[in-house]
Amino acid sequence: MDNSGIADPHAHHGSGKSATRHFITQRLTGAANIAFTGFFVWLVVRLAGAERAEMVGVLANPIVAFFLALLIVNVAIHMRIGMIEVIDDYVHEPRTRRLSLMLNTFFAGMVAALTVLFLVKLVFWG
Amino acid sequence: MATRSRPLSPHLTVYRWALSMVMSIVHRVTGIALYVGTLFLLIFVGAAAIGDEALASVSWLYGSWFGQLVLFGYTWALFHHMLGGLRYFVWDTGHGFERHVRTWMVRGNLIGSIVLTLAAWAIFVWF
Repeated sequence: MDNSGIADPHAHHGSGKSATRHFITQRLTGAANIAFTGFFVWLVVRLAGAERAEMVGVLANPIVAFFLALLIVNVAIHMRIGMIEVIDDYVHEPRTRRLSLMLNTFFAGMVAALTVLFLVKLVFWG
Repeated sequence: MATRSRPLSPHLTVYRWALSMVMSIVHRVTGIALYVGTLFLLIFVGAAAIGDEALASVSWLYGSWFGQLVLFGYTWALFHHMLGGLRYFVWDTGHGFERHVRTWMVRGNLIGSIVLTLAAWAIFVWF
């Protein structure tokens, strides 16, 4: 490869604005995810195959719902950054790249928002 | 001054395959699987919020042989990605790059993820 000259300033391979923040956030959310593992395993085992009444009984508990909401928001942030990294590596065509990044943010935001919405419904309306 | 294209990761095919390399790829693949798999949790919680029939359908699907197979794979992906993350925490500190240490770490990652998955299913599902 020709290494003379400066790197093309208009090329996009990772963001000059957010890459360092993403690096740090990815590690913080990753560590938080590990801390959530025990809670998550307990919850899944507790709820697997349960009748609705029993499931509502567990999820309507504000502490359980709060931690599950926190977990899914944390996961959404972590997976959004992870997917940005994948998109940066493999999707280079500018328009496709922008669209991919947008859909990624939309998907991560939607998963977190809907899960929290359903939890709020369970806590307040059963 | 003339501009050149920014450097990209060297193409994978120029390297001899090594376990550490495969595990790096697997970390990414499991991450993508977990990404899509957050929908399983969303659908589960959503069904519980919506009503008896919705939850019954989802519980049936998750309890079917296909659902169990997918959830078993998901458990492995979760543990593998988690242990892989721990591996990167160690490497972030600048330690563990010696040949025998990194080989031991990637092997531990793979073996650990299989052991944790089998243990979790044995304890909570099978027995």
